[in-house]
Amino acid sequence: MNFRTMQAANRRKTFGLLAGMGLLTGLVVYAALTYFGSSGAAIVPVAVGIALIGVWGSYYGSDKLVLTMTGAKLIQESDNPKLFGLVQEVCIASGLKLPKIAIVVDPAPNAFATGRNPEHALIAFTTGILEVMDRDELQGVIAHEMSHVANRDTLVSAVAATTAGAIAVLSDVLTRMMWFGGGRRDQNSNSNPLLIVFSLLILVLAPIAAVLLKSAISRKRESLADATAVSFTRNPAGLRAALEVLARDSTVVQQRSTSVAHIWIESPLDGSSVSKLFSTHPPIQERIAALKAMESLS
Amino acid sequence: MKTLIVLGVLALIVLFLIAQYNKLIRLNIAVDEAWAQIEVQLKRRSDLIPNLVETVKGYATHEKTTFDAVITARAKATTASTVADVAAADGMLTQALRGLLAVAEAYPDLKASANFLSLQEELSTTENKVAFSRQFYNDNVRSLNTAVKTVPTNLFSGFAKVEEREFYEVEDPQSRQAPNVTF
Repeated sequence: MNFRTMQAANRRKTFGLLAGMGLLTGLVVYAALTYFGSSGAAIVPVAVGIALIGVWGSYYGSDKLVLTMTGAKLIQESDNPKLFGLVQEVCIASGLKLPKIAIVVDPAPNAFATGRNPEHALIAFTTGILEVMDRDELQGVIAHEMSHVANRDTLVSAVAATTAGAIAVLSDVLTRMMWFGGGRRDQNSNSNPLLIVFSLLILVLAPIAAVLLKSAISRKRESLADATAVSFTRNPAGLRAALEVLARDSTVVQQRSTSVAHIWIESPLDGSSVSKLFSTHPPIQERIAALKAMESLS
Repeated sequence: MKTLIVLGVLALIVLFLIAQYNKLIRLNIAVDEAWAQIEVQLKRRSDLIPNLVETVKGYATHEKTTFDAVITARAKATTASTVADVAAADGMLTQALRGLLAVAEAYPDLKASANFLSLQEELSTTENKVAFSRQFYNDNVRSLNTAVKTVPTNLFSGFAKVEEREFYEVEDPQSRQAPNVTF
């Protein structure tokens, strides 16, 4: 599989998963209507609103927010001309604007990118990654991060987080209403008991399904970023070698906040994750194998 | 009602025509911008050379042929203007610089000097930038040429005065050489 077909496949899958999210939201709304009638419907916009406020603030200010959450410090060209040179190379290859560049003082090798659009992009590296990686490997990592910027992954994950958040709020409020509100107000609206059980099941399971979908979207965006990185550098060996360095390295970034875990190139949490289904990144060996397959083509 | 539908269909057709025209113009501008980026990077590399040659000269005094090759290649690169000429001069200069760096390998004092190391890093990032701007330019030329040749945009190329553009192909003897096979 070359990088073009891989990019297309990952875009298609993301689209499918986002459609799945939409469908799930539809199901939850349907369940609310079946169970509570029109009074349930009033909660929908409230839930979406709550989720929107929570996610949208972090999406809009992502570049500034993440700086404070990870302790990253912005640097100037004179601070690290080599790193700036490397980032400029990838910017020329991709046609993107030069992002803000930041450093996180942390011995664990890792990197991330964020920002609501290419004009507000921020790319950060730990001091560890700058020490252990050579020129080609760093170029691969930078290309991967700039791919997240090019593919608008901050937006994609904000949309996924909003939907998952709205579903969580909805299901939470509705299950509470069942316990305390004594159940259905419109006794005559829907009396099919099968439908009632079905909607109950949806309300209980939807939040888990939403988190699973959100993680699946994140994994697809990681694979897509690997493929896009190769389309920038035309050098899968660089990124592959970088991932091998990350796979060999067992240290993880000290700051392990779950809310920003998904943005790093190597997840600081997935090592302890209960299951592959919930992890935000595809297994690193799988990513290495995909890049090796691209290498054998060129 | 009928006239409204007719007007709506007409408006859609006009919008479609405008979109085709604009697409061609946009692609053409993208190629111009990509070309400008190549020129910026070539200029930057050219500016690095005198400093690099002086530094190497300080340690390796009798490598005159190598220095001359770099200086002539640089002079050629600064006067070239068409895509093919610039590409040819670029290839020659890349080759000459490779020779210069190979010479440096033989002088351990030079290789260890801080000045040379920072120049070398600057040169390798600039070489990469030249290569990437080339790749970006060729990608843009490919999209433009595809649009100029395919339906429906090809019908507008004459009207928009947009033509196929030339690819930037570097004559690099090293990359064109057939690999040596020994048994």
